[in-house]
Amino acid sequence: MSNIVIDKTKCKACYLCIKECPKGLIKVSKDTNSLGNNVVEFADAKNECLGCAMCAQRCPDLAIIEVNKG
Amino acid sequence: MTTQVFKIPDSFKKDVRYTFCPGCDHGVAVRLVAEVLDELGLTQNTICAASIGCSVTIYDFLNIDTIESPHGRAMAVATGVKRAKPDKFVFTYQGDGDFASIGLAESMHAALRGEKISAICINNTTYGMTGGQLGPTTILGQVTTTSPTGRNLEYYGYPIKIAEHIALCDGTAFSARVSLDTVANIKKAKQAIKKAFEVQMKGLGLGFVEILSSCPTNWKMSPDKAHQRVREEMMPVFNLGIYKDVTQS
Ligand SMILES: Cc1ncc(C[n+]2csc(CCOP(=O)(O)OP(=O)(O)O)c2C)c(N)n1
Ligand code: SF4
Repeated sequence: MSNIVIDKTKCKACYLCIKECPKGLIKVSKDTNSLGNNVVEFADAKNECLGCAMCAQRCPDLAIIEVNKG
Repeated sequence: MTTQVFKIPDSFKKDVRYTFCPGCDHGVAVRLVAEVLDELGLTQNTICAASIGCSVTIYDFLNIDTIESPHGRAMAVATGVKRAKPDKFVFTYQGDGDFASIGLAESMHAALRGEKISAICINNTTYGMTGGQLGPTTILGQVTTTSPTGRNLEYYGYPIKIAEHIALCDGTAFSARVSLDTVANIKKAKQAIKKAFEVQMKGLGLGFVEILSSCPTNWKMSPDKAHQRVREEMMPVFNLGIYKDVTQS
């Protein structure tokens, strides 16, 4: 089972990762961080994550701190 | 069994947050530098000559020694550091204004002298830190705060094609232009950075990479639209490619 880990304190809400995920597993959440940004969240109820790391490669803020492929 | 396929590079400081604007490609470029330092085992033996511009903040993010340079003089500072400490791995990280406008003489002469250093130049077609003025790489017609009606050929002349000029210098071992507009291009950019670092390690001469990079803030565009601009407006002027690689000839 693959997954990603997001460090929400680093997210600047550019939302580039949302477009990059081939499975559409990243969404804007209602949570805000100390920067006042509506951060992204990983929503993978059906275990669809491919572990492709496209999101982490695209994130300009290193806010996706881990990608695990299983 | 799961395998970790992405992590924060060891050369990146723990728990720091970038201070770049949202969506700025500087963040990707600095991460690629950190990954290459990790992969080549250089972290403990590296000195970076930092520049002036948004690029300067690299010293806040990497676990390496850094020396600050006056605006445009990073290649001259790197030359001094490398000559004094030839066993160190020395690189510069500069903006296009820093590298190719105020620092053009230092940059070209370091290449002509064949300094055994590496240089990364972020081409975002503007002076980012100071508010989006016209720079040496601003393309014809581009609106900036100092060219409100667009870069005019009669008045300002042509933008400089840095990677091609550096490739023409006999002391250059590697010169390439890459882009960060797509994940595929990000991966190619990392290979180019690695090559530019390796030619220094082999003592072959200057290793140079020009990186086409977005500046969503000063371009007044969303991060996604800014990548579209890199593709549609910058790439036709600044063609991607390897302009010199002495290891292939
Ligand atoms: C000698 C000197 N002149 C001018 C400045 C003001 N200045 C600071 S950053 C900068 C432009 C940087 O632009 P660029 O190199 O393209 O880097 P970016 O900010 O776009 O990454 C200028 C002109 C300065 N700090 N020192
Ligand atoms: S001004 Fe431009 S180059 Fe500087 S951090 Fe912001 S987006 Fe990046």
